[in-house]
Amino acid sequence: MGRFIILRVGRALITIALVVTFAFIVLRLSGDPAQIILGPEAPPEVLAAFRRAWGLDDPIWLQYLHYFGAIAQGELGRSMRDGRSAIEIVAERIPITLALTVPALVLKLGIGIPAGVYAALHRGSLTDRIVMIVSVAGFTIPSFVLGLTLVLVFAVQLGWLPSGGQDSWRHAILPILTLGIGGAAILARFTRSAMLEVLGQPFIRAASAKGVPWQDVITRHALPNAAIPTVTIIGFMVGTLIAGAVVVESVFSWPGVGRLLVVAVANRDLAVVQCILLLVAATMVISNLIVDFLYGFLDPRLRSAKGQKAAGGQP
Amino acid sequence: MVNLSRRTALGAGASLLGITAIPRFAIGQADNRPTITVAVQKVVNSNTLDVLREQSNVGERVFFTSLWEPLISKEWLGNLSPRPGLATEWKRIDDQTVELKLRQGVKFHNGEEMTAEDVVFTFSRERMFGNSEAKNRTTLKAFEKIPTPRPGKELPPEIIAVARRAWPDLLRVEAVDKYTVRFFNATPDVTLEGRLARYGSDIMSRKGWEDAASYLDWARKPITTGPYKVVEFRPDNMLVLEAHDEYWGGRPPIKRIRFIEVPEVPSRIAGLLSGQYQFACDIPPDQISQIEKNAAFEVQGGTILNHRLITFDKNHAQLQNPLVRRAFTHAIDRQAIVDSLWAGRTKVPAGLQWEYYGDMFHADWRVPEYNPKLAQDLLKQAGYKGDPIPYRLLNNYYTNQNATAQILIEMWRTVGLNVEINSKENWTQIMERGSQRAVRDWSNSAPFSDPVSSIVNQHGPNGQQQQIGEWTNAEMNQLCEVLETSTDRAKRRLAFRRMLEICEREDPAYTVLHQNATFTAKPKSLKWQASPAFAMDFRPGNYV
Repeated sequence: MGRFIILRVGRALITIALVVTFAFIVLRLSGDPAQIILGPEAPPEVLAAFRRAWGLDDPIWLQYLHYFGAIAQGELGRSMRDGRSAIEIVAERIPITLALTVPALVLKLGIGIPAGVYAALHRGSLTDRIVMIVSVAGFTIPSFVLGLTLVLVFAVQLGWLPSGGQDSWRHAILPILTLGIGGAAILARFTRSAMLEVLGQPFIRAASAKGVPWQDVITRHALPNAAIPTVTIIGFMVGTLIAGAVVVESVFSWPGVGRLLVVAVANRDLAVVQCILLLVAATMVISNLIVDFLYGFLDPRLRSAKGQKAAGGQP
Repeated sequence: MVNLSRRTALGAGASLLGITAIPRFAIGQADNRPTITVAVQKVVNSNTLDVLREQSNVGERVFFTSLWEPLISKEWLGNLSPRPGLATEWKRIDDQTVELKLRQGVKFHNGEEMTAEDVVFTFSRERMFGNSEAKNRTTLKAFEKIPTPRPGKELPPEIIAVARRAWPDLLRVEAVDKYTVRFFNATPDVTLEGRLARYGSDIMSRKGWEDAASYLDWARKPITTGPYKVVEFRPDNMLVLEAHDEYWGGRPPIKRIRFIEVPEVPSRIAGLLSGQYQFACDIPPDQISQIEKNAAFEVQGGTILNHRLITFDKNHAQLQNPLVRRAFTHAIDRQAIVDSLWAGRTKVPAGLQWEYYGDMFHADWRVPEYNPKLAQDLLKQAGYKGDPIPYRLLNNYYTNQNATAQILIEMWRTVGLNVEINSKENWTQIMERGSQRAVRDWSNSAPFSDPVSSIVNQHGPNGQQQQIGEWTNAEMNQLCEVLETSTDRAKRRLAFRRMLEICEREDPAYTVLHQNATFTAKPKSLKWQASPAFAMDFRPGNYV
């Protein structure tokens, strides 16, 4: 187990280092932050002063070494826009984004999983078809279209809710709905497929033939076995909690990490972009790690290589 | 002896309470001024509210006239001509010196009175110039020792460069008495008054600076004289201003102004229609008719002090011959662009100049006429064989940029110019030197009412176009010197005329397409007038 954790953490660190390196190269080669931040009409001496101050005159490899050296010491740099610490800037946005993404995740789970299970248990019925039509619509409609539609209906036409901003809990309703509906649709489809696959397995028939009550067959045999693919998707969703609402935050003027990322990339504000990427990569890697552990918990056959091998020959 | 019963005592107490409480209550109730929300695409780019750090159109909108004020102001709701600001009068002592009388009784947001000391500090090394020197000075005077900045108060280096670009030859500012100041320039300069009115020459409180813990703390909440003061600033999100009731120009008509960042156009419009925002700014021209279909709303605004240009790299193989560049300029039907993409709500200006230049404005000057036949002839004379000419293009950095580019490509194709769009992601890529740099988009502003602020600033020897090696012209560079240093107005006027001839006709550095414009949507019921600038004026008298 210890070796497993060390290997996983080592792999995660390499992934994060690669993400940071790739982002550094792409961002620095594709634009001069001085020109972008100060604008196209900035006089040459102003641009030169800015470049000198931020070390942008140095060769790119030297800038990279400085940057990586600083990261090794826990210093993620300062924003070239206002000189503040990148960590401080990103940290103050995280709770704002989580205020949307956590309730949205709850909504996704609360709607998506029951809808998927229900549709699977009533396969072919009218309800199943309705759930699937809604589900397909839910995940094919782009979030900005869904968001703007909700704004037109609930803010402009009905006047029930604000169209954007972050002044009160009412301002969060439409963005949470926008995020939640799309995610719930995806979960519903995955849960339904997983359930249908498990319901067709011999051990379900065996359990029924033994006289186990149908409710117990579902809760004790079908659901745990169908949980594996669903947990994978949930793990991915947890990984996107920090920066997975870029579009929705823009549509609803919600000043979270997603909008910060857009502004920072547009301005080539390297330290801020890198800080967000590190955070996103770390969240994604950690959530994947947790999912890996959950696999073992949910399915004893996956707890060890031996178990996996043994499980290989069984349905 | 007074016989005080319990009832009398209670009654007297209640009356006393009433006497003390009622006026407060009345004052509280009397402030029925509205709080308004203005939806903008961006509050500021630099995440500071320092006029020298935030040099942008969006900055102009929130700074002027709400927050920052200069000594010499502009007629913001008129033709932008000079008018008294924090100075009530000014006069020339000589060609290098201007004396200004300050308005008395002006209160900063911290309650302190503005005096000459604040003006001197605003133009000091500590606040503006750091260790930079006036361009033409030869000696360093003992009393002008360069101060060591206090920890945390070091100026961002670009501020010093911006300040020097605005005031290249300013030697010092002196307080003559509490309400009189003198500006001393190293060289004769007729533009000193214009520079005093420009973006960045606005007055701040010395005490406000000294009380702030750091530059950033100050730059997030500068103490100035405007009718509104900063109460909350959340970077990339919102700026909340509150009425400064001691404002010298009268009681501000709005209690609170919230500038909120709403990056998406449909979201700004939806917020306006739902009543959440009172103003929606940065409305694209193609949305104007859609908004005005609703009889309760209107779109105001129009031209600003900024012209859209196409610039040329005369080193490109196909553009070395000025005849080819001239063909470009004559192939453009500018009015068609204004009518089709701007709903006719901007105009084709008289070249790279603005009416507020006053006597330096050449009213009879015109952009090159739209004449496809002439363009074809010029190409024939130049021996142009149809070789491709790259046009570096950003994705809608300017309003209607992509659509304008597509129209231009077709207009140029009609006369025989083979121009190919080369899409780029940012300005570095647009300006990068190389054989593939030929034609690109740009704009030019006039921060003060003299051609030095525009044609010299951007196309002169120290301007960006020459500095990045796109274009140069020896005669133009000599004329720039005349414009910057001569005090003979007639000679300057002639020099400017000649510069227009060189840059727009004989050896085109650029060609002007149209004046830029900005549009703001609002309910018709709000009585407010937009200025011919990005600045939003919420001073007394312009909001009912």
